[in-house]
Amino acid sequence: MVAAATGGVVIGGEFFLAGCKNPDAGVGVSSTFTEADIAFLDEVAETIFPKTSTPGAKDAKVGQYMTVMVNDCYDQKQQEAFHAGMGSLNEACKKMHGHDFMKAEPAHRKELLVSLDKERAEYQKTKKKEDPNHYFQYFKQLTIMGYFTSKEGREGATNYQPVPGKYVGDVPYKKGDKVLTGLS
Amino acid sequence: MAETTFDAIVIGSGISGGWAAKELCDKGLKVLLLERGRDVVHRKDYPTATKDPWQLAHRGEMPPSVLKENPIVAKCYAFGEATEHFFVKDKEHPYIQEKPFDWIRAYQVGGKSLLWARQVQRWSKFEFDAPARDGFATPWPVTYDDMAPWYSHVEKFAGISGNKDGLENLPDGEFLPPWEMNVLEKHLVEQIKTNYPDRPAIIGRCAHLTKPAEIHIQQGREQCQARSLCERGCPFGGYFSSNASTIPWAQKSGNLTLKTDSVVHSIIFDEKQKKATGVKVIDAKTKQPTEYSARIIFVNAACINTNLILLNSKSDRFANGLGNDNGLLGKYICFHNYRGSITASYDGFSDFVTYGRRPTMIIMPSFRNVRKQEMPFKRGYLIAFTANRYQGTSYDGIGTELKDSMTQAGAWGIYMMMQGETIPKEKNHVRLSTEQKDQWGVPQLITSVDYDENDELLVKDFHEQGVDMLTKAGCKNIYPRDSKQAPGLDIHEMGGVRMGKDPKTSMLNKWNQFHNVANVFVTDGACMTSTGTQNPSLTFMAITARAANYAADEFKKGHL
Repeated sequence: MVAAATGGVVIGGEFFLAGCKNPDAGVGVSSTFTEADIAFLDEVAETIFPKTSTPGAKDAKVGQYMTVMVNDCYDQKQQEAFHAGMGSLNEACKKMHGHDFMKAEPAHRKELLVSLDKERAEYQKTKKKEDPNHYFQYFKQLTIMGYFTSKEGREGATNYQPVPGKYVGDVPYKKGDKVLTGLS
Repeated sequence: MAETTFDAIVIGSGISGGWAAKELCDKGLKVLLLERGRDVVHRKDYPTATKDPWQLAHRGEMPPSVLKENPIVAKCYAFGEATEHFFVKDKEHPYIQEKPFDWIRAYQVGGKSLLWARQVQRWSKFEFDAPARDGFATPWPVTYDDMAPWYSHVEKFAGISGNKDGLENLPDGEFLPPWEMNVLEKHLVEQIKTNYPDRPAIIGRCAHLTKPAEIHIQQGREQCQARSLCERGCPFGGYFSSNASTIPWAQKSGNLTLKTDSVVHSIIFDEKQKKATGVKVIDAKTKQPTEYSARIIFVNAACINTNLILLNSKSDRFANGLGNDNGLLGKYICFHNYRGSITASYDGFSDFVTYGRRPTMIIMPSFRNVRKQEMPFKRGYLIAFTANRYQGTSYDGIGTELKDSMTQAGAWGIYMMMQGETIPKEKNHVRLSTEQKDQWGVPQLITSVDYDENDELLVKDFHEQGVDMLTKAGCKNIYPRDSKQAPGLDIHEMGGVRMGKDPKTSMLNKWNQFHNVANVFVTDGACMTSTGTQNPSLTFMAITARAANYAADEFKKGHL
């Protein structure tokens, strides 16, 4: 009864390994997030996916989404890595720009996250399978997943067709056209 | 006092039970359809069918507390936040795995017909003839020619999309218009055919209404909308399920009584009459027993549960389970080998995308041992593959660049999988626990089913051939994978009550009747003598319709 892999797009594929398919998730501490944490996560997400002609991550309430997924779908180790990562990111900001992430201007925030993303990519390439992810991997993948499964992101930034009505094998496409998405 | 006597009882309302009920009702018999789970009414009971991702608490992912408690069903690709209400939770229905076996169950009206993957390739004469030709199983008592009219019968009613491809080893059927292939799939099919003329690949045949015919409109079903959310239940009735099709049809006849929450404990055998007289049912909620009687009994509880009920149907005459004179009941359990898959990418065709979500794949019928035994292994495998563009051109970077990339269509990815035939073996069996019972007083089932060396060889051959075909077609980043998944997760379990010509080596005759209990019929996966490489549900449906029409005719003649 294996599903026919259907005509839709796959967001990220193997990039998204963590999350609710983890059988050990949700068994340790239930971590808590403050309003300030959510505001912080919103700004991190907004830096990753800023508002342009289409909604940004903050419009899509990605910070709130991250806290739900971390609390409900991450195992204890991942939760700890995520919480520690919030601190590490702020420390890295202080080191690079001399003040907290929340006080940094957008260009500085971006400069920081570009550098953390490079660090992440290097780390993920060389890490052993059993090692935890680089913390920025969590922020980045949760931002992408949270954004594209939100009303604002899905409807605003993609060609959302919950009821396509038909399948057409070949539709002309040019670079810049919005990607087609569905309900799932 | 509720009615307890019927012309026929059908145990189970899934894909085959729905068909048994419909055919018997159409023939004018008064039918009791027993379902152990709750009612699921088409449209009304599909609570997530039109939900957007943001309307689900975890955007479709399953909270891990549920996964932790349900390690078996959690492995099923279709189990998630939007579908979990249609699956059995491990804890509520324990069984004993002597060897790992992921038993995926769906206890409600419609059963797994709500959740199935809806691929419906006919068997050919090669599959029906293979056990006799190659001697790996007892010979089938039916031929392709016996089955062909019944394939047509169920195809017309269920609504099957497909192309008439003229392949001898994947016969054409009664088709609604086919789904399209996309540009890369067409390229792959062409390249493979150029390199291997004996390996044609076609657009899959699936139980979706691409263009509803009059018979489907009469069922109240509408065209498939290419949403690809089938496992939530389809409010359009775009795919075939018992809920959308056979059960409401049978209800319209006025001949059907549907009883839910009815756990069948056993079939009652009457020594004097030398036949089954009814079934013993335990109310799922009150645990109260009731007996129902009928002249004909169809067992369609889905393969493993059909075995369980029959093994538990003990009498002085049949101390080891109904009809079990030869000791083979519960043995020769087989399944499909789904372990092998391959992913790949393809550079090019970037000026095309697909629109909509197609509910089928490209299908290449088995090309091994088709006309004669020629490989170092027995039988073969069907290949299914699909090509889609990913979302996003790159995951690198931050900010507007990343956002731009992720809102565009990315590279083409290819997914290819095998569906391998497994060889029925006596040692692959299910049996009853002598110690543990479930909460309805039914003995728990022990599963003892495993792969063998032949299965390993099939995975290896698929990987070699798949990689070679994709390489020659210009694909890149080709990664073969062996999931090593346990049997059962394929959800194609078959056998245990197999059909055959000889009562010494089989349980059922060519009409799916027990050789020694003429009024009991088994027409779900349990009746299968061998597995073929095709998706089996269509064959279950056809064999059920055939047997039900025979049973109704015999009933009217007074023979049953």
